[in-house]
Amino acid sequence: MSRTHRTRRTHGGIAAGTLALVLVTSGCISGSGSGSGDSADDPIVIGVSLPLTGDFSEPGKGVERGYKAWAKIVNDNGGLLGRKVELKILDDQSNADRVVSDYEQLIGRDEVDLVFGPFSTRLVVPSARVAEEYGMLFVEPAGAAPEVFQQGFKNLFYAAPAVANDHYNHLAEYILAMPEGDRPKTVAYAAMDDPFAQGTANGLKDKLEKGGVKTVADEVYPPNTTDFGNIAAKIADSKADMVVGGTQYQDGVNLIVALQQLDYQPKMAAFSTAPTEPEFAKAIGNKTEGILAPTGYTQKADYPSNKEFVEKYTEQFGKAPEEDEANAYTTGQVVAAAVEAAKCASQDPDCQKKLVEWLRGNTVETVVGPLKWDDKGRPQSAHMIQQWVGGQIQIVLPDAQKEADLIYPKPKW
Amino acid sequence: MPSASLVFQSVVLGVLLGGLYALLAAGLTLYFGVMRVVMIAHSAFLILAAYLAWYAHREIGVDPLLTLFVTVPLFFAAGVVMQRLLLTRLRPATLTMMSVLLTFSVALVIEGLLGYAFSGTQRRIRLGYSSASIEFFGARIAVVKLIAFGMAALALLGLYVLMKRSRFGQALRATIQHPDAARLLGIDTDRIAGYGFGLGLATAAVGGTALSLDTTIYPSLHWHWIGPLMAIIVVGGLGSVPGAAIAAMTLGMLQSLLQLELSTTWAQTVFYVALFATLAVRPQGFFGGRLAQRF
Repeated sequence: MSRTHRTRRTHGGIAAGTLALVLVTSGCISGSGSGSGDSADDPIVIGVSLPLTGDFSEPGKGVERGYKAWAKIVNDNGGLLGRKVELKILDDQSNADRVVSDYEQLIGRDEVDLVFGPFSTRLVVPSARVAEEYGMLFVEPAGAAPEVFQQGFKNLFYAAPAVANDHYNHLAEYILAMPEGDRPKTVAYAAMDDPFAQGTANGLKDKLEKGGVKTVADEVYPPNTTDFGNIAAKIADSKADMVVGGTQYQDGVNLIVALQQLDYQPKMAAFSTAPTEPEFAKAIGNKTEGILAPTGYTQKADYPSNKEFVEKYTEQFGKAPEEDEANAYTTGQVVAAAVEAAKCASQDPDCQKKLVEWLRGNTVETVVGPLKWDDKGRPQSAHMIQQWVGGQIQIVLPDAQKEADLIYPKPKW
Repeated sequence: MPSASLVFQSVVLGVLLGGLYALLAAGLTLYFGVMRVVMIAHSAFLILAAYLAWYAHREIGVDPLLTLFVTVPLFFAAGVVMQRLLLTRLRPATLTMMSVLLTFSVALVIEGLLGYAFSGTQRRIRLGYSSASIEFFGARIAVVKLIAFGMAALALLGLYVLMKRSRFGQALRATIQHPDAARLLGIDTDRIAGYGFGLGLATAAVGGTALSLDTTIYPSLHWHWIGPLMAIIVVGGLGSVPGAAIAAMTLGMLQSLLQLELSTTWAQTVFYVALFATLAVRPQGFFGGRLAQRF
């Protein structure tokens, strides 16, 4: 009993501490007169709530670094509309109730000029609802699951190249453009029971089935599956020309090793997420040649702003940015483009309306490529496709970005 | 209808999986046989052994199999200590009930410490031979799975020989069959019970090392194992080591074959269906002897 009490008291302590901190910071800001008009000397204050502790703390901190890198680069280049930008970041503890009150506080009491989104679908949906109520533009760096775009939000924009189901679009186009005789005729799918991972595999499946490529196996496994022997046996037995994994990290590794154990040799193999992780090659014993993976971001992509981002980010944080950081930075770029075009940055409803309208109709150049959105806020690009070629992962699709030619059929693993 | 080669491949996978289940269930049924203890933490020790193998391999690069020389004696000692210091303190009248709570908390402590030390990230040992396989009448057998099966089979055989041929084994069986009579014959049943418990944990060390060769491990993985293992020992008949082994092989095989037609999640339910069926039709289990009927 006494243990529960102590835990509860600690929580209370932390909450009180955070509150005090917030009061002090907000005190400082209102003291300097933020939100009281568009004077050229005032900084543009941007409110964000992020999961800096709790379940999503790891990606949450990545997003925080991305936002900070963006603010620093913008300020070093003279600011936005000639004003400095200033981030006001609260910790929502990965908690959906907390994120709502955070955004209410940021918009209602702290009167921030702009807001950026938090991390992950679970927090994006409730916070987008708050932004919607206040009529604020809401650009978010994470939350690719279909439900984000089914809520009827009018101010939401997802700052990444594509929603989960569109990750493999370039690969689907490539396969369907191959001469009938050469292309893979049968495909086996295996996906984790998770909206994101399954979305990537299903997106490709829908497109290939429409194009006449047959599905010969379609397996779904629970997130904590550790033994892939039987799933791999089914895939191997189907003798599919191509295998597609709607995977995260470890399950992807396990599935590939299990397929290798059965000596299954497909002509094409594509897996989400896992092959792009730095540990991947070692984890599967370096038998990576020819494995494909979609990716939303690579440090090597030669979009103009990406070079600057990678260089300055590395300088600031001592290592190169990953996808979470890049998507956060992209969020900054998208909002900045709208602000520059609308020539305003404040809570004034006309200003926010102008920002939203501008993004509806225009394309923004970002570190993940040019982005534009449909009326639900879904980005209209696709992920690049990378392939392990010559012992390293290289971009093979689309043609404009490619570093190496796609290898088909895949060498044996 | 799945092809013949796929069915055969699944049978092979089922045998390999069943072997591991058999070893683990043998340990679990031993605790119950010797001292009527329901050992919820058995699979937590299994995962602990797997983590030790993984850690030793990562830090000093030794083959996971070599860690057995450390983990088996260590776990045996831990088992004796745990029995002497914790379980003997429970009142005999409520021993079985309270041992569930006690070992449940031990499982939580192990899980928590593993999470604290190694985080919740999934881990897997990287072996040079992890994707190697050999052909067996058209099916493929992964070398790592074969090694794991071999370890389980050897350990089970060792356990069998120990129980049947040694004086200690005789004393252990006497303690299982009739503790009072065993005491009358001059057997120090408390000491024997301690060793029996250590023996059970030693099987967890072997099983955990076997497990670490070919699957991913994470701190809460043990919850995934304890359910099927409990079901196996009930189906096999509580306290019966051969019964546990036979039930493990049968259910492991069924699980593997059911995956041909059902999803992974549904195939797992075979254990619970078997558990309900056993309790309804033959509550003493299918292979349990006199002992099982008393419970």
